Amino acid sequence: MTRHHPVVRITHWVNAVALTIMVGSGLRIFNAYPAFARKGESFCCYPFEHTPIPAKLTFGGWLAGARNWHFAMMWVLVVNGFVYLSFIYLHGEWRDLVPRRGIVRDSVEMIKFYLILRRDHPRQGKHNALQRTAYFVMPLAGIMAVVTGLAIWKPVELAPLTGLLGGYVWARYWHFWAMLILVALTLVHVFMVFTVDPYSIPSMITGGYRDDLSPEARNARPFVHLLPRHHDAAPDV
Amino acid sequence: MTPRLMSDDRRAVRRTEALGHAAERLGVDRRRFLLAGGGALAAAVLAACDSQGPRSAKSLLMLAERKNETLERALFRHGSIDVPPAGAKLAGARFPSYFVSHSVPVWDTAARGEWRLEVGGMVRTPIKLSLADLAALPRTGYRLDHYCVEGWNAVALRTGVRLADIARLVGVQPGARYVDFRSFDSDYHESWDIESAMHPQTLVVYAQDGHYLNAAWGAPARIYSPVKLGYKNTKYLTKILFLPARTGGYWSDRGYEWYGGV
Repeated sequence: MTRHHPVVRITHWVNAVALTIMVGSGLRIFNAYPAFARKGESFCCYPFEHTPIPAKLTFGGWLAGARNWHFAMMWVLVVNGFVYLSFIYLHGEWRDLVPRRGIVRDSVEMIKFYLILRRDHPRQGKHNALQRTAYFVMPLAGIMAVVTGLAIWKPVELAPLTGLLGGYVWARYWHFWAMLILVALTLVHVFMVFTVDPYSIPSMITGGYRDDLSPEARNARPFVHLLPRHHDAAPDV
Repeated sequence: MTPRLMSDDRRAVRRTEALGHAAERLGVDRRRFLLAGGGALAAAVLAACDSQGPRSAKSLLMLAERKNETLERALFRHGSIDVPPAGAKLAGARFPSYFVSHSVPVWDTAARGEWRLEVGGMVRTPIKLSLADLAALPRTGYRLDHYCVEGWNAVALRTGVRLADIARLVGVQPGARYVDFRSFDSDYHESWDIESAMHPQTLVVYAQDGHYLNAAWGAPARIYSPVKLGYKNTKYLTKILFLPARTGGYWSDRGYEWYGGV
């Protein structure tokens, strides 16, 4: 059974590469002025003004190199995101990815399960409530990154957009937040893939997935029930 | 045992074995996946560490830069002007000072004579303007944002002469598509597209925040426009040349984008 359509698989990995390069080069650009304050002013809302990001986390080598990567890779990110969103809209996959009734209650149940305040894995469809939320917020944060990015790329030619976001300084701040959200969601996503559902990795490469090895079937929490449950394999007599 | 039960048991055993083999196969696959995935990730991280990325990507990056320039020039409007937020403070003395020479470039009148701004190239009447000549031309002043390529911005009151007014004065010929701004700050210069140069907020600036420029800010005169990133705005100006072809620039030749539009 194919869990993910080839379009979803390809856009997933293109996105992984593009996003990594966008974040790395973006952090290198940020390091040229690791602060938000307009010269001669102070900035209220960032506690690490003038503290550079560790160079190891950056990409591009120097400001011009990072900018060249950033302004090239942005098109890959935008086109790829457009293909993905168009596809899941036209092909119906969006139904598994939008919040549905009871998403808050279901999310609370998932958190309770992960915190061992609940014994059994809540019932779910393709994704659990937390995944639905994450996979729904991810494209929104991506759109936020693109819109705020345009606003700080062209604050004069696209002045109305930059103004809408509160001006250049704030647009730059919101661009940074879009990156933080994308990075946080990605880190949690990768952690959960490896500690809860490593069987889903092939499903994002070849498309194959075995429902009898799903986290729900294994009653899996992070690091718990990683291996298939052997008693499930025994005959129900 | 009835035959029926026997067959049920056999089926169950077969099923167990099949699942076992599947799990084993999966186990191996997973290990291979983890190994391959981990290796690929480590390679990617190592390759990414503070490097400029693969050399082979350079032509693609340059293609992207050209395409971006086409888009930026299509977006460009003389009607799009910069208006700093009403509450934004002037940077004042906190306005950064920047030059490429070893020390602050200062025009040496004793050695080089009186400073004059030469306006030439594809023009009908080339001229040389002293600071007094500039100050006598129609004066334009704006409170403007300065957008640095590094990401900071600063607000200053810029006073000077619209380059478009000077262009009318010298009679720029139709074939002039580019403008080169040269300086006495070593070999610093930057060339622009003529559309940006003729923007109403592109000024030959001789005063900042109400005072004649000081040496740290590019005295006696500099070009300034909010439609270009800071590095495109040559300070310590000596020549403005209207040209048929682009002539690069100090930072543009060192990897920064030539267009540098805002």
